[in-house]
Amino acid sequence: MAKTKKAIRLSGVLATLVLLLLAGKSYSQSGIDLRINEILVVNDSNYVDDYGQRSGWIEIFNSAYNTVDIGGMYLTNDPTNPTKYRIPKGDPLTRIPSRNYLIFFADNRPTRGIQHLNFSFSDTNYIALYEVNGRTMIDAVKLGLQKSNVSFGRLKDGSSEWGYLEKTTPGANNFTGEVISSGEKFVAIDPYGVGMAVIAMSVVFSALLLLYVVFKNTKRIYSINLKELLSRKKAVADLPKPEPEEISGEVNAAIALAIHLYISELHDHEEAVLTIKKVARTYSPWSSKIYGLRNLPK
Amino acid sequence: MEHSGNFITFITEHLQQFFTYTAFANVTPGHIIMICIGLIFIYLAIAKEYEPMLLIPIGFGILVGNIAFMPGLKIGIYESGSVLNYLYFGVLQGIYPPLIFLGIGAMTDFSALISNPKLMLIGAAAQFGIFGAYAIALMLGFSPSEAGAIAIIGGADGPTAIFLSSKLAPDLMGAIAISAYSYMALVPVIQPPIMRLLTNGRERLIRMKPPRSVSKVEKILFPIIGMLLTTFIVPSGLPLLGMLFFGNLLKESGVTKRLADTAKGSLIDIVTILIGLTVGASTQATTFLTTKSVGIFALGAASFVIATTAGVLFVKIFNIFLKEGNKINPLIGNSGVSAVPDSARVSQVVGLEYDKTNHLLMHAMGPNVAGVIGSAVAAGILLGFLS
Repeated sequence: MAKTKKAIRLSGVLATLVLLLLAGKSYSQSGIDLRINEILVVNDSNYVDDYGQRSGWIEIFNSAYNTVDIGGMYLTNDPTNPTKYRIPKGDPLTRIPSRNYLIFFADNRPTRGIQHLNFSFSDTNYIALYEVNGRTMIDAVKLGLQKSNVSFGRLKDGSSEWGYLEKTTPGANNFTGEVISSGEKFVAIDPYGVGMAVIAMSVVFSALLLLYVVFKNTKRIYSINLKELLSRKKAVADLPKPEPEEISGEVNAAIALAIHLYISELHDHEEAVLTIKKVARTYSPWSSKIYGLRNLPK
Repeated sequence: MEHSGNFITFITEHLQQFFTYTAFANVTPGHIIMICIGLIFIYLAIAKEYEPMLLIPIGFGILVGNIAFMPGLKIGIYESGSVLNYLYFGVLQGIYPPLIFLGIGAMTDFSALISNPKLMLIGAAAQFGIFGAYAIALMLGFSPSEAGAIAIIGGADGPTAIFLSSKLAPDLMGAIAISAYSYMALVPVIQPPIMRLLTNGRERLIRMKPPRSVSKVEKILFPIIGMLLTTFIVPSGLPLLGMLFFGNLLKESGVTKRLADTAKGSLIDIVTILIGLTVGASTQATTFLTTKSVGIFALGAASFVIATTAGVLFVKIFNIFLKEGNKINPLIGNSGVSAVPDSARVSQVVGLEYDKTNHLLMHAMGPNVAGVIGSAVAAGILLGFLS
């Protein structure tokens, strides 16, 4: 009974551990990773489109770590009409590479190409991106008062913080400050690597310690007879176990002799191997006698 | 007469032009040094039988990579579109190391570890070499990413070193890989003096309990649980750990013999040839012979010494807490570095020097394979912190 309780407790601990490990944020990699990243409403002397014209623009950022096709999705400036502008499918432009950008011009001139929308910012202060089904909203932004040639965007690509950006960055990283790598940040705090050694060794030890704990108890866990536990056939369990059969002296002597011969390498060295396996040789015209040079031409 | 003069000029000019394309015209002292190093590798592999499976491809690769040529002919390993560059892609993108781990998994028997799981902790202790080398590399002025990539040499695991350096410091990958494989080959030379220095006569004679027999169910559960637990803790180690445990499941399941045979046979052989040759060829003198490479070699040696020391000392400390009869022979502490099976073989050889009947090989295989897991976990941590 005590053994059973212990096993159940152990299973509980393991289950809790797995649940704890499973709990947390998950990251998907699909169309829902697209973000409206930066918007310039009043473009007086800023980014020029492929026709040499200036107009408001919207930057879409692919925050996923794989290419995402924006083709078939919808951009709109009207909350009551989510399917106002359908981004055409099948164009190589619509395939946004990982952590990359695509610019759309809000110039109300859709005949100029797929990047030119059928609305402009003069109509409204709302922009939204919808999934291919036209119902699922991926991202939406409400714009406040906009300044000339100053873009409004996420302070860091894909982040949730919005603001007026110091520099307009169409098709580029919104954060224009100095980027410090995580390694440099780590070393700034831990210049001698002591912290790294402590943290990393703790993790390595924990990982292997966990394996140790699990495998110390694995045999105990899987050897639990569930049927026996459920039916509580205690009587069967209480029966005296049969004594293991004693190995005879002849068998022990034979084993000892075999080990002695093996360690002392006194066994015969066998050149040939007897087998019942069929010997198969792969046919190759290069080794074929049919094509040998010695054969006389027929 | 004039015609023959023109012809001779034509021939001379073209012979001169041809000469400019030959290696004789482009060779530098650096190329000669590297060719000598390649020849030493080949000599060590054939005459001394130090890791021949690795040193022959790497040594010959060094020769291939140091034939001086006129740039622009799509010949060199660093020239886009060259055959060697295509083969090198697998190294640069970290494709080959996980495939090698698949093969290692398919050929490794984890029974020793399962039967005595506390040996896993020795595999963890030996990883201290990695972080010791990391601290020294920082002190020597290497950048954090470079220090992390160099430090992994202490894991004594070639594929892991290549994998991590391809992510953290691709420029140093050639030097790191050569250093890792060289010291792995020199394990029988580096480790025994440290083991003798740190142990006394009584400790060397400790006899360990024979490992218990391990059931098939345990062997099947090990790769599944091992993969889930380790990768939940360090997901960045997934390419290496996932493949290692997958290969082991192919072996232990008993129903995928063909797949296991391929993974531990043809597949690992092909990848070893490609990785060895291309890593060797990546040591082109023009990019390889720098003061940084010398520093990497020195740090590699230091990390091996620290790892071996940490492994042996850990066993000695661990023994304080173990009951008489359960004590561990500290001569297996060195095998926590993951040079499989060389470091375990060193334990066996040194152990037999003091007691002809005390066979430590089976016991040493436990920490040895735990070292493989430990170094992959350590690589995942470095990748997570420094990339």
